[in-house]
Amino acid sequence: MTAAAPSLPSILGPIRPRPRGRETRLLAIVAVTILVGSVSLQLARRVTDPGEAHGLSPANPLHLAIYLGLIGLAHLVLILSGRRMDQVLLPATAMLGGISLLLMERLPQTQVVQQVGPWKLGLGDIQLAWLILSFSLATALAVTVRSDRWLRLYKYTWAAAGVGLLVATYFLGDDINGQRLSLSLGPISGQPAELLKVILVVFLAGYLSEYRPLLVEESTKVGPISLPPLPFLAPMVAMWAIALGLVVVQRDLGAALLFFTVFLCLLYAATGRVGYVVVGVVLFLAGSYVMYRLVPTVQTRVDIWLDPFTTSSGDGYQIVQSLYAFARGGLLGTGLGAGLPTVGGHLPIPAVHTDFPLAALGEELGLVGVMAILGLFLVVVERGLRIAASAADEFRSLLAAGLALVIGTQALIIAAGNLKLIPLTGITLPFISYGGSSLLVNGIIVGLLLALSDRGVEPPPPPRPRGRLARLTGRVTRLESPPAARAPVPDPRPKAAGR
Amino acid sequence: MTGSARAAGGSKPLGRTIGHVGLALTVAFGGIALGAGYWQVLRSPDLTRAPDNPAVIAAARNVVRGMIVDRDGKVLASNKRSSVTGEPYRVYPDRAFSTVIGYASTDFGTAGLEHAWNAELTGVSNRDPIGDVLRKFQSDPYDPQKLTLGISSVLQRAAVAGLGDDRGAVVMLDPTTGEILALASTPTYDTGAIANPKTSRDAFAAVSGDTNGRPLVTRATQGLYVPGSVFKIVTAIAGLGSGRISASTTFPEQPKAERDGLLVGGFRVHEHPGVPSQSFNLAAATEWSSNIWFALAGLQTGGDNLAAFAARMGFGAPLPFELPTSPSQVTNGGGSAPGGFTDETELANASYGQAETLVTPLQMALVAATIANGGTLMKPHLVIAASGRNGSRTIAPEQMGVVIGPDEAAAITAAMQRAVESAIGQQFTSGAKVPGIPTAGKSGTAELGGTGAPHSWFIGFAPVDHPRVAIAVIVERGGRGGARAAPLAGDLLALYFKTFGR
Repeated sequence: MTAAAPSLPSILGPIRPRPRGRETRLLAIVAVTILVGSVSLQLARRVTDPGEAHGLSPANPLHLAIYLGLIGLAHLVLILSGRRMDQVLLPATAMLGGISLLLMERLPQTQVVQQVGPWKLGLGDIQLAWLILSFSLATALAVTVRSDRWLRLYKYTWAAAGVGLLVATYFLGDDINGQRLSLSLGPISGQPAELLKVILVVFLAGYLSEYRPLLVEESTKVGPISLPPLPFLAPMVAMWAIALGLVVVQRDLGAALLFFTVFLCLLYAATGRVGYVVVGVVLFLAGSYVMYRLVPTVQTRVDIWLDPFTTSSGDGYQIVQSLYAFARGGLLGTGLGAGLPTVGGHLPIPAVHTDFPLAALGEELGLVGVMAILGLFLVVVERGLRIAASAADEFRSLLAAGLALVIGTQALIIAAGNLKLIPLTGITLPFISYGGSSLLVNGIIVGLLLALSDRGVEPPPPPRPRGRLARLTGRVTRLESPPAARAPVPDPRPKAAGR
Repeated sequence: MTGSARAAGGSKPLGRTIGHVGLALTVAFGGIALGAGYWQVLRSPDLTRAPDNPAVIAAARNVVRGMIVDRDGKVLASNKRSSVTGEPYRVYPDRAFSTVIGYASTDFGTAGLEHAWNAELTGVSNRDPIGDVLRKFQSDPYDPQKLTLGISSVLQRAAVAGLGDDRGAVVMLDPTTGEILALASTPTYDTGAIANPKTSRDAFAAVSGDTNGRPLVTRATQGLYVPGSVFKIVTAIAGLGSGRISASTTFPEQPKAERDGLLVGGFRVHEHPGVPSQSFNLAAATEWSSNIWFALAGLQTGGDNLAAFAARMGFGAPLPFELPTSPSQVTNGGGSAPGGFTDETELANASYGQAETLVTPLQMALVAATIANGGTLMKPHLVIAASGRNGSRTIAPEQMGVVIGPDEAAAITAAMQRAVESAIGQQFTSGAKVPGIPTAGKSGTAELGGTGAPHSWFIGFAPVDHPRVAIAVIVERGGRGGARAAPLAGDLLALYFKTFGR
């Protein structure tokens, strides 16, 4: 007995389980909901679509059993880890993943087909595999990440790696539909822009927390307008512009919008200065107008957005079909498996599994279902922001906020695009859209958020007196006057613990 | 508050700003929910019925469509099942209705009323939001609606038969409700052959390949014709409606011009032969169909008034109707003179229905209906009731607009009655008079330039004292108005009173 304990990886330490009652109860609700969904789907399929052709496994209750089993296992691992972590994030994201699995089981399995060794895998099989990997990753990160030093100290390295990934994609990537978004390494292909979302947040959190006092207190006066202290904002804006530029060159407008929104939100969260947001939004609008004038892709997207119905069989086809799907759903929906009428064997929305899952869910679950899904995303976001607000220091706070914002903003952008509230951009609905890169990155985000929520985590390192940039320019030292500026900042921990 | 926050300066906890960000995201999610509500609840009824909605298309292939019957319950569209595939297909017993009902074919989609009312006929929607919510719990989610048309088979058949081998159109409607009683266009085609899967390919190829007769174009609603003298009624409406002329207006230069023509901007407006050189008022000018008097009336009314009053009756835009309609025009609108006319010459010529004036038969029927209904135009409609499992609903009459007042309408009615009933008027409208029933109307002879016979037009209504039916007839290349259109209109009006009584 005693001999077994030392053989455990030292990173886990001695096992002291801590019950997670709230998570257990919430997961029970998730399991029941998904099971009811599965039964409803089986009944509907028996009526509408008796058999799947093409040698693919039809909607399979076993898939859902495997998924729920895995979530239960993740729950068990979190209990065994003994950490005091958030108990709502896992049930909320597990629910979204379960909805995703139900949808992918319900869609024609031929939407995606891959041959892996002797097995021919369809849409539902592959999505299940990615969901398993995603939640395993989340659990592994939640249990093992006990220090944020590896993120905090190497922000420029992370930034360089991110830009490197994008450049590599641009030069070595595969063209799909005129967009060059995915990079293949042997048999594995992925979309680096997905990972870049996390990298950008890490960099922004590191940079903003380091220079926060300067950004809050100093201004460059241009006439009556007070602007941010330009020298300190410059490298960050440059990093952001490079990322944005590459994204725009790659025609990935959704990612560009996401990066920009997250950047502005974090800037505001760090500084509390509305002026930054106003300047940012003005810059964004001006930039959008220039893009509209110069980039034909943008112009097409905007024109489709303004009036899709005149080109409902051409350019506007997908969005019009999406709106038709929402409209068919009405208040209560058609029921799982009873929507998406096929004409001549074709789905009305070809990219339903990647870009329009919300339209399919809106049809089959109705407005009520859409509200519930939006509510789940809001829960994830608000839990993330709660973790951020009670974090031990500014870096962790901004990191958690940024990660939550990546999920929330992404959901907002694609949902608004599906509903014709903003021009449509190709971006995934977190946890629900089909796609490995997206699901893995979502898993990383949940894992990091869970780890950050642990109040017993290692205390943050003492603040470094100056940043690298400060060391390069002598002027900074004078402006910063470190002891005076740092001294009044209270340690937020006691306050956070009181909440 | 703000003062203390400012004083705190850099020591603001991030919790506060992060709270703001959370609030902003909550608001944004709320916005998305509102957007979803807009499309899923507010816009749901009309989007669900859109003809290109896959649910409508898919249902059309599987569902036994609702029947279509005429106002007396006579079946105009029913269903059979294919002995090969077991899928249902449409049967149309009467080709006189081909241009109204159109077809529903598995291979060639839908046309006509089958297209416009596809969602109701297939039963994917019954325009009842509460019923729609509950419907999903029923075993059969479709509730195909039976449509009842205002059209009378008797009148429709007689109109098609009356047009015979000629191309043309007849529109009859109840001016007090806007119910269409007959909407005939020739040539007709065999919609049953297009709907039958065995013959559909050849039948459709034959019909769409007929570039000469073009039966797929519904002439009554889509055909654009030079109106000739029937347009004088529009000029009278604009003149009296704007107050620029009255029923007793005379023009001092008119009697002399009857002989030599009227010089307008270098162009001479000519009279047709036989019109005496007397001073006319509205009634006499209508009776004699004087081009000169109406040219002068149009000039006095002004191009802006003419265009505006025409627009009140639907000119300038597609009509609100269940079938596709072409917009009628007073002028092609490119000119700089008021109302879009090029100059006074164009206005003078337009005032008696030549120049750039182009109209659909349905539009001219609405002009007649406006006068018949005392100056108030009712919205034309074909379907008067839709009924399904969950009850039926009738389509109530709807006002399209008040064009002129009852006094002005009465003055024009009197003029139109003289045009049909007086000895002079009957020279132009022979045969339009319904025996025993006071009848009002106006014939038209649309000169097309070149050789060939003119289009023969007639618009009118009866009885004069309480009109129950308004009519527009055009026979392409039918000669003078009195040669073909007026006698056909007279026969059809007489048939109406024979069928439905006085």
